[in-house]
Amino acid sequence: MAVKKDYKDQKLAEKLRDRKYYIPDSNPEFLKEVEKIGQTPAHMCYQCGTCTGSCPSAPRSSYRIRLFMRKAVLGLEEEALTDPDLWLCTTCYSCTDRCPRDLAPTDAIMAMRNLAFKRDIVPRNFLQTVQLIYKSGHGVPNNDANRAARKKLGLDEEPETTHKYPEYLPGIQKILDHYKLKENADRILAEGA
Amino acid sequence: MAEDKYKEARIGVFLCHCGTNIAGTIDIDAVREYAKTIPNVVVVDNYAYMCSTPGQNKIADAIKEQNLTGIVVAACTPRLHEPTFRNATAAGGLNPFRFEMANIRDQNSWVHMHQPEEATEKAKDAVRIAVAKASLLEDLIPKSVPVEKTAMVVGGGVGGMQAALDLADAGIKTYLVEKSPTIGGRMSQLDKTFPTLDCSQCILTPKMVDVYRNKNIELLTYTEVEAVEGYIGNFDVTLRKKARGVLTPAEAEARGIVGGGCTGCGDCAEVCPVIKPNPFELGMAPRKAIYIYHPQVSPLIYTVDFDSCVKCGLCVESCGDKKAIDLDAKDELITVKVGTAILALGYDIYPIEKKFEWGYKNYDNVITSLEFERLICASGPTGGHLIRPSDGETPKRIAFVLCAGSRDNTDTGKPYCSRFCCMYSLKHAHQIIEKIPGAVPYIFYMDIRSFGKMYEEFYYRIQNEGAKFIRGRVANITEDPVTKNLHVNAEDTLLGRPIDMEVDMVVLAAAIQPSAETEKTRRLFGVSCSQDGWLLEAHPKLNPCGTTTAGVYLAGVCQGPKDIPDTVAQAEGAASAASIPIHKGEVELEPYFAVCLEDKCAGCGMCVYQCPYSALSLVEKDGRTVMHVTEAKCKGCGTCGGFCPGGAIWMQHFASPQIVAQIDAFLLGGEQ
Ligand SMILES: Cc1cc2nc3c(=O)[nH]c(=O)nc-3n(C[C@H](O)[C@H](O)[C@H](O)COP(=O)(O)OP(=O)(O)OC[C@H]3O[C@@H](n4cnc5c(N)ncnc54)[C@H](O)[C@@H]3O)c2cc1C
Ligand code: SF4
Ligand code: SF4
Ligand code: SF4
Ligand code: SF4
Repeated sequence: MAVKKDYKDQKLAEKLRDRKYYIPDSNPEFLKEVEKIGQTPAHMCYQCGTCTGSCPSAPRSSYRIRLFMRKAVLGLEEEALTDPDLWLCTTCYSCTDRCPRDLAPTDAIMAMRNLAFKRDIVPRNFLQTVQLIYKSGHGVPNNDANRAARKKLGLDEEPETTHKYPEYLPGIQKILDHYKLKENADRILAEGA
Repeated sequence: MAEDKYKEARIGVFLCHCGTNIAGTIDIDAVREYAKTIPNVVVVDNYAYMCSTPGQNKIADAIKEQNLTGIVVAACTPRLHEPTFRNATAAGGLNPFRFEMANIRDQNSWVHMHQPEEATEKAKDAVRIAVAKASLLEDLIPKSVPVEKTAMVVGGGVGGMQAALDLADAGIKTYLVEKSPTIGGRMSQLDKTFPTLDCSQCILTPKMVDVYRNKNIELLTYTEVEAVEGYIGNFDVTLRKKARGVLTPAEAEARGIVGGGCTGCGDCAEVCPVIKPNPFELGMAPRKAIYIYHPQVSPLIYTVDFDSCVKCGLCVESCGDKKAIDLDAKDELITVKVGTAILALGYDIYPIEKKFEWGYKNYDNVITSLEFERLICASGPTGGHLIRPSDGETPKRIAFVLCAGSRDNTDTGKPYCSRFCCMYSLKHAHQIIEKIPGAVPYIFYMDIRSFGKMYEEFYYRIQNEGAKFIRGRVANITEDPVTKNLHVNAEDTLLGRPIDMEVDMVVLAAAIQPSAETEKTRRLFGVSCSQDGWLLEAHPKLNPCGTTTAGVYLAGVCQGPKDIPDTVAQAEGAASAASIPIHKGEVELEPYFAVCLEDKCAGCGMCVYQCPYSALSLVEKDGRTVMHVTEAKCKGCGTCGGFCPGGAIWMQHFASPQIVAQIDAFLLGGEQ
């Protein structure tokens, strides 16, 4: 456990904080849970970096999928789940395609997101996406600009989805209700407000 | 023949602790007390290491003191220590085949580490079963067969050449069989060799000449193994001498062409109108339909590629009075007899285009390390000038991709480390720094494996010379369609930062795999392979040159990736092992062959067709037809013994009464 230091200046305290890895900081159950939910043996990662090298998010952010794999292996649950970078994966699966150890880093990230959600750690835009899906069946609903573009391309203004067939929306809502996704999103957003 | 022996059986049981390997799990005292209660057991003893001298002495002494008829050692595996304990049994004055082993380590304590009580019970069962068999064991006398005083080496790379030279120097006539038109293998394609940087051809060519000149070596290039029959000491190997279309001086003389045959002058290739890529230069240089790979080939005899020859006859004309060319040549089959054989089949480069994210065969300036060797080599297609295939320019920024397809658990890679690519990539980095002013090698690596003598020092040297090391495996490579430059994408895992590095050329240190015909050839010799296709040694530590087929040995990369020093070392080991049976002059065959109990044999002959080794036949004896076993051919597989409806086949050492006694001992739990 990190040694407590006390500086009057909070910024200095943060800067000089003990950053060593101590065994008690690690929760071995975290690795097991990530592997169970993600269905991938994350502990076999040998830190080659092929995943980060493939990742479209990495060059544009501080997100490093390889470091999340490392934190899973070391059981650094707190650090992994509270890191906002966790939400920067685009789920393109490039890393999973190329990982030489045949792991699915994407699915490990998804597992960590599930675990984070269980603890109400979710960025607001993700929760708003939930609300949008509940309302329209789309994370990114159709809009006028899109409609115009579709028309120009000779497509129907509305795609073959709940936009065209709103009668299927209750089915989608039933699924979200079943998992209490909407309920939780509403609650967390309200608490944060 | 069994019952009366059973009555007089006096068995000694010896329990091994194997340090804590066995005793850490199994309650030795409990097994010892139990063993004393088993019928026929007259002595029970235990010791920390039964295989040690004091352990072996216990066995020999007990045989003498207690007049024992059979020995049981409960310990590791017969594969490891059966010979040890047989010797101890013989030292006590008993026939060595009166020894039986109970495996209570590999098949018990190691796998039941967490169930000590059940493991102890299982050990008691194992001992009881072994005692049941030991009580019925008989004296057996191994058969000796004479050993043919010749050897064969298959594969003429540096490994095969070294093995053949050692055998020949030890006075053994050796056939060296090479499928391509010249010996030399991969090493002749290399420019320099790590870590000393001596020129590969300069150290290899003299050896090639030695092989060619050695009176004890019969060099058979452009030849493949077609069939193998027989067993240690007496292999009959059928070889296919592929139609070469060109006569050696000796072959010419045999045809009555005095002073004729190929002199290697090359007049033929000069006039040949057919142009094909030269596989030796990996297709980067042309050859004719009548060709040699390179000027240092051994033997220096041209070869006609009949797949592309148009039979215009121009070469025949230009060869003139030497009359060396025979465009009607046909494959020839010959059979030779050898006592022992060494496989030195080498390796191929993994088809790295399967990793399409790196663009090999798609992007001009992505090449393999073997192509790099040819391009940097003074005798190569560019005279040693490393150039970009796209525009012939000299590259300045060169990326080396290590572990390309190695250490890769996907279905487009190989799980093992190819073992020499780290080192040759360091060598390549040195070569470009030395040859191209201002050139910078960027080495993308996961680990640098520089484990050999002076290898870590070599790594130090190359780093000091200015090579840049980036710790990260390459994710993908893209090509600038205009400049044909390449963008290497990876993560510098030490900085924790993604990299997009624009370079002029990329060299892939591609994985290696067993050579194309390894599978076929190993099957002919009855040699196993491991999951990854490399040939399986008899024991990874204690018998790395032998195989489970007696008389067949392994040398070089075909047994697993290894560099030249390790290849040569193993080749010398294999040559030494292969010469032992030849120098002994005879080998003992395990006496586990079938015996015909002639009074029971009905002469039906059904077994003759069952035997996979053609060891059985029917003969007339005293006016009756009975089955006859050719003992040297019988492998003791037991197919016939299990089959014979009349119970007329006695499988020595695995006879029905012995096996039934074991089953009874197990099922009846010791009750008789
Ligand atoms: C790019 C590169 C650079 C290297 N640089 C170095 C270096 O600097 N230093 C170093 O120590 N090592 C180096 N190596 C490794 C070196 O090439 C091997 O260690 C060495 O060639 C192994 O020799 P071998 O005899 O086992 O196999 P090979 O050289 O592959 O020879 C096998 C021979 O057997 C023949 N053959 C195969 N199958 C059959 C068959 N069924 N019947 C008949 N003949 C057959 C083949 O035609 C071939 O001639 C390098 C390897 C590569 C790829
Ligand atoms: S690509 Fe696979 S093995 Fe390599 S660092 Fe990423 S998860 Fe680990
Ligand atoms: S799936 Fe996520 S982590 Fe993997 S490469 Fe794509 S964005 Fe990056
Ligand atoms: S998988 Fe999804 S995120 Fe990735 S490229 Fe395709 S649409 Fe985009
Ligand atoms: S030798 Fe080096 S480059 Fe080759 S597979 Fe092994 S670690 Fe990778």
